[in-house]
Amino acid sequence: MTLTTETTTLRPMVRNEVGLDPVVSQGPALLAGIAHGPGLAAHRGRLGPAPTPAADELVQLSRDVDLRGRGGAGFPAAIKLASAQRRRAVVVVNASEGEPASRKDAALMTLAPHVVLDGAAAVAHALGTREVHVVVPSELPSIRVGVEKALRERSAAGERLKVTIHDAAPRFVAGQAQAVLQLLAGKENLPVTAWQPEAVSGHKGRPTLLSNAETFAHLGHLARVGSSGYAALGTADEPGTTLLTLRGDGWDPEVREVAFGTPLADVLTAEEMAQPLLLGGYHGTWLKPAQLQGLTVSRIGIAAAGATLGAGVMLPLVEGWCPLVRTEALVEYLAGQSAGRCGPCLNGLPALAEALRDLVHRGGPVGRVEELCGLVVRRGACAHPDGTARLVASMLKVFPEEVDSHALGGCRGGRVEGSR
Amino acid sequence: MSEHTLRVDWPACKAHGLCAEMLPEVVSLDEWGYPIVHGPVSAEVLALAKSAVKACPTLALRLTQPPPRPA
Repeated sequence: MTLTTETTTLRPMVRNEVGLDPVVSQGPALLAGIAHGPGLAAHRGRLGPAPTPAADELVQLSRDVDLRGRGGAGFPAAIKLASAQRRRAVVVVNASEGEPASRKDAALMTLAPHVVLDGAAAVAHALGTREVHVVVPSELPSIRVGVEKALRERSAAGERLKVTIHDAAPRFVAGQAQAVLQLLAGKENLPVTAWQPEAVSGHKGRPTLLSNAETFAHLGHLARVGSSGYAALGTADEPGTTLLTLRGDGWDPEVREVAFGTPLADVLTAEEMAQPLLLGGYHGTWLKPAQLQGLTVSRIGIAAAGATLGAGVMLPLVEGWCPLVRTEALVEYLAGQSAGRCGPCLNGLPALAEALRDLVHRGGPVGRVEELCGLVVRRGACAHPDGTARLVASMLKVFPEEVDSHALGGCRGGRVEGSR
Repeated sequence: MSEHTLRVDWPACKAHGLCAEMLPEVVSLDEWGYPIVHGPVSAEVLALAKSAVKACPTLALRLTQPPPRPA
């Protein structure tokens, strides 16, 4: 262990240590009923019984509105559904949300559990199965309590699903698909190598429709309102809505549901629009203030700007903070979140964190940082090293002036090219 | 017959390094001793690759072919 003199004393908070609950506002679709409470009676009273379309119908609806998975990767839901549409399928609702800056699934499960469970029931019916698994984060026990209560209400109302709840380990990689399948199998909740997609061979080798909780909520909503009703919100290219977590690891976290195409300026404050934005969470990408102008909440538009919407996490840089110092703190956290099973991640992420610390605080070489980014990519059972390298590569690409300035031993604090 | 790819089961790999010794045409080692796979396995070295797969002490190597497109 070496002691180092750091050039800045400001240590940006990485994890929401105090566990502040996000403020959740009523939304236009999934979060439309939160003022009526999480109970089934209010839910059914407002919306009526949940429809149960046939598999082909649900696949077609998903295709019509180009529904994408909301866990971060944005995989087309229709393809997943069609692949899992075989005998003895299993449905897995992943609400574990390992990313500490994301709170949207927690908000959904707490305030609108039946919106998610209607979707799970619709998918189970479509796939001809009764076996549903719900994975909840063990660090937020109130979610499990809420889901248990919701399931009791549903079985009292006559729903005949066999639902099992599982507690995900409180770590970043626990929510990764293969790690979730390990948890279901009674093994340690850590990623393993996938030789086949889980829709083909998942839980106990059976076809497994494993998706993020928000994805199920959208499927349920889509089954209810149809593709034209769903497309009443959003844009022609991206119909519907999405959940966002704003400042998820900060002092004033917020969860919001917005239609695709909503200007970023309507989501962030004017002060935040003048700051760099980390989009897509700790595995995400940076955008400069100048790049935020005219941008909307859009997977396609944000990708065109060179970033990723991911699971809808938006982390504006706090004014006065240096984006390099913030990134370095995140990478140190992410290195500590390695499951320690895959050699390149176990060795590479701490080395990357060290090289980045060296660059940011002691003017160390950028070449070593780039080399380590290249060494960890696509060399693990899960995408944790890839996501970490993506964050670092984005920092190098978006803030070259700051990188140069740190190489000369300086830090311009929050003053970033393109702000103001 | 499509080209073979050497895939590593990363949690299983314990950096013994036999693969790089037996198949230097395709595998080198990183600074911690874990394999770096350089591109697909050509027909000329396919037999060597199969021996490397068999020789791995932790059975962490597999030869795979691109899967057929799901229906």
